[in-house]
Amino acid sequence: MTAAPSQQIPRMAALESLGSWLEATRVAQAVGSSMWTVATLSAVHVLGYALVMGGALVANLKLLGLIVPSVPVNAVVGPASRGITCGLVISIVTGILLVSWKAVAAFGNDIFQIKMLLLLLAALLHFTWQVRVARTAGADGAALKISGAVGLLLWLGLAVAAAAYILFE
Amino acid sequence: MTLLELCEWLYETGPAVLVRESPYGFQILVGIHLLGIILSVGALMWLDLRLMGLTMRGARVSELNRSLAPWFLVGFAMMFVSGAMLFAGFATAAYGNLFFRIKIAVIVLAGLNALYFHFTTGRTRPEWDAAPQPPPAVRFAGLSSLVMWGVVILAGRMMSYTMF
Repeated sequence: MTAAPSQQIPRMAALESLGSWLEATRVAQAVGSSMWTVATLSAVHVLGYALVMGGALVANLKLLGLIVPSVPVNAVVGPASRGITCGLVISIVTGILLVSWKAVAAFGNDIFQIKMLLLLLAALLHFTWQVRVARTAGADGAALKISGAVGLLLWLGLAVAAAAYILFE
Repeated sequence: MTLLELCEWLYETGPAVLVRESPYGFQILVGIHLLGIILSVGALMWLDLRLMGLTMRGARVSELNRSLAPWFLVGFAMMFVSGAMLFAGFATAAYGNLFFRIKIAVIVLAGLNALYFHFTTGRTRPEWDAAPQPPPAVRFAGLSSLVMWGVVILAGRMMSYTMF
């Protein structure tokens, strides 16, 4: 492998060494050697992603006050949260396996980095702020709406980045 | 005209050529297709789970349906329009693809399942609208919809690996 210009940036160097370690694992080599394994993992990855996005969609629409007006906020956000968690487990496990055999390229890819950053921000917003405001009885309507709007934008950004990564990686 | 001839004809039409040859036509359509999946299946799955009595058991099915329908209908519209254009652009390759065939067959089944539910099982809704656990026929309709859309997503992704 040629010396990458990214070597000057410690973060990039760390990502690159993590990537090379991952690529060298036996699991990564097994995944990369079979198109059917990659295709199946990718299909299951998208299924988990649909669970995450479905949960995020209803949670944020409810926080924005756009759906099921007679249902308490937490009666929607709670189940949606479990859907997101379940989908995240599926997507993260399959996602790690999917990038494992081309990890150096993936970790160094701008779109991949944006996708991961948006996922991190959206999940953090959901599991720290949104879950808490949803549980608070008589929570400020404006706070709910703002958290819903920010959440929807972050998840939409993630969806666009995910599509872009599939298409332009 | 056979189905294959129809696909060959479709492949040569103007919009199909545009899908294949415009700089970002394909990518934009796939992007819309994926966003459509999130809106449609993402919203519909919550109605299915409610029909199964697995979530939001305190909410009326009719209210959830009324609230979610605009979202999943827009999502389905996005998915069908972008999907039809993508199909036109790659009609001959799709025609011979096993996963594409599975996907189309299951979409038809899911549509029939929804129609059947709308005109038969769903008509008894006043009896179970507020029930935390709807009757078995309703729960089965929710489960079959959920499983079928899951299969559509799986087959769709497998298709993109085996077609090009």
